[in-house]
Amino acid sequence: MNRIWVIFHKEMLDNLRDYRSWTTGVFWALFGPLIMGAVIMMVGSNFREIAKQALRLPVLGAEHAPSLVAFLRQQNVIIETAPADPEAAVRAGDINVALVIPPEYGEEFRAGKSARVRLVFDSTRQSALGDIRQATRLLESYSEYIGILRLSLRGVSPEVARAVQVEERDTATPQSQALIFLSMLPYFIIFAIFNGAAPVITDATAGERERGSLEPLLINPLPRGWFAVGKMLSAIPFAALNLVITLAGFAAIFNLLPVEELLGMQIEMDAGALTAIFLVCLPIVLLACAIQTLIASFTKTTKEAGTYLPFVGLIPALPGIALAFLPVKPELWTMLIPTFGQQILINQFLRSEPILMNNIIVSALVTLAVSAVITWGAIKFYENERIVMGR
Amino acid sequence: MIQVQSLSKSFGKVKAVQNVSFSAPNGQITGVLGPNGAGKSTTLRMLYTLLKPDGGTAQVDGFDIIRAPLEVQRRIGVLADARGLYPRLTSRENIRYYGRLHGLGGESLEKQIEALLAMLDMQEIADRPTEGFSTGEKLKVAIARALVHNPQNILLDEPTNGLDVMSTRAMRQFIQRLRDDGKCVLFTSHIMQEVAALCDQIIIISHGQISASGAPDDLRRQTGQENLEDAFVAAIGSAEGLER
Repeated sequence: MNRIWVIFHKEMLDNLRDYRSWTTGVFWALFGPLIMGAVIMMVGSNFREIAKQALRLPVLGAEHAPSLVAFLRQQNVIIETAPADPEAAVRAGDINVALVIPPEYGEEFRAGKSARVRLVFDSTRQSALGDIRQATRLLESYSEYIGILRLSLRGVSPEVARAVQVEERDTATPQSQALIFLSMLPYFIIFAIFNGAAPVITDATAGERERGSLEPLLINPLPRGWFAVGKMLSAIPFAALNLVITLAGFAAIFNLLPVEELLGMQIEMDAGALTAIFLVCLPIVLLACAIQTLIASFTKTTKEAGTYLPFVGLIPALPGIALAFLPVKPELWTMLIPTFGQQILINQFLRSEPILMNNIIVSALVTLAVSAVITWGAIKFYENERIVMGR
Repeated sequence: MIQVQSLSKSFGKVKAVQNVSFSAPNGQITGVLGPNGAGKSTTLRMLYTLLKPDGGTAQVDGFDIIRAPLEVQRRIGVLADARGLYPRLTSRENIRYYGRLHGLGGESLEKQIEALLAMLDMQEIADRPTEGFSTGEKLKVAIARALVHNPQNILLDEPTNGLDVMSTRAMRQFIQRLRDDGKCVLFTSHIMQEVAALCDQIIIISHGQISASGAPDDLRRQTGQENLEDAFVAAIGSAEGLER
């Protein structure tokens, strides 16, 4: 059995010298933390802007409606002079929203009719939605305010005109938006594990066939399946290294960035949570190495392996993305799906939720069992003569 | 000592090797000669346990290639058709890897590597990564790693393929040296002159079957031809594969 370590040792030496491959793998480990950091910065600054910044509203024809303009100013709106062609300016993205008050406004207003104003905006522009909503609401409340005054003047109770009064209570907080991004974090971790192992495995399996070094290798006096095991094992340190780097990256993001100030919430990423997440992810390291060894063994060139392996890394993304939008309760059945169960557990650690030890054990055991079956498949393939004839 | 009995192998409908029997004794060079695609490599691949025969079997030093492949692998040194090296490892590391896979290690392995480096005159390239080696240099590494466990039986598949004149000469001298050391040397070639110059015994294969075999003189007698080239043509029934 210790000849498996001879294979392991050689593959490690060989792969460490191929620094371009494994540093590429390390880059993918930093990819998740970098994206997460950028998203937190962006989302955070958006929240701050929306919360603190007064609405800037370009108005065309302000002179036609002095009392409306005065009302808006009262509501902390900064009135700006609108460009001559507000529609073009909105379309070009120069301004988010513009208010156009036509000359006949004053006449209609005095006559007690509905005086028309025009709000120019582009509802498909995500970043403008806050301004649009605020401007609409302000105009509606002005309209309502005037309406109430008019009814009162005629001796009618304003409540007559308001059959239903809607009281809005929006429970969405900046935190809950940030949590959507947080749900992606487990996937980034798994992604890093897969990408840490991929270049190493590709070289040890498909690369070995491509170089023509597999045939002489298999003539050495040890069971052929051991080669599959040795190669798989040699990818584990690289996958585990990527796991550590990714976790360190996330820890740095959450501890160095002013997350609490940006998102208004605290994310638990202390040493305890990091260790727990690392341990929960270890079975995935084995799974990633096993499944990629099996698939890359079937390919004949590194290029061919390079077309398949990225898809393998994407598979665990699918439940992870679903998780971001459809929160799943950590029930036992979810733990039976390798990588899915771990993603739920990682989320729980991040939110400092109580975690069932049973769930951790079940997810680890199932993942290990699946890895073992896949490894057995790789061993069987190495024992088949197709591995040398398939050229 | 290699004994082969009725070895057969097919790939789909193609009968690559049919009913091939011969024996290759110690202290002799046995050449398997035949045109490209005649079944030489497939025969060798079954002998070095990479492929399982469909029929027949063979023994290496008395160990059966089907029932005791690991025992066979311990007793053979193989220069296979594919002879890729690890480009990021040095010559020495490439050889050492195979030594360790044979269960060798420590001082004795290092000594053996040093001896092989000297014998193949490759000390200069010993500690360079094999990336960018010439065909001749790569071949030396491939041979050294095949012989690192000092095997009694040596199987060489087209050992002079792609070599220049000087390297070919050196290779032939090396093969003769192995014979003089009492090894059983079995090699394949499609070059008639090479086989004629080196071999104690020639096995001519065409279309997967042995068409003639014996010492060079026997072959001339069997085919009734004066020179060996004519004997070869007579044996395989065409001039295909004759090169020089």
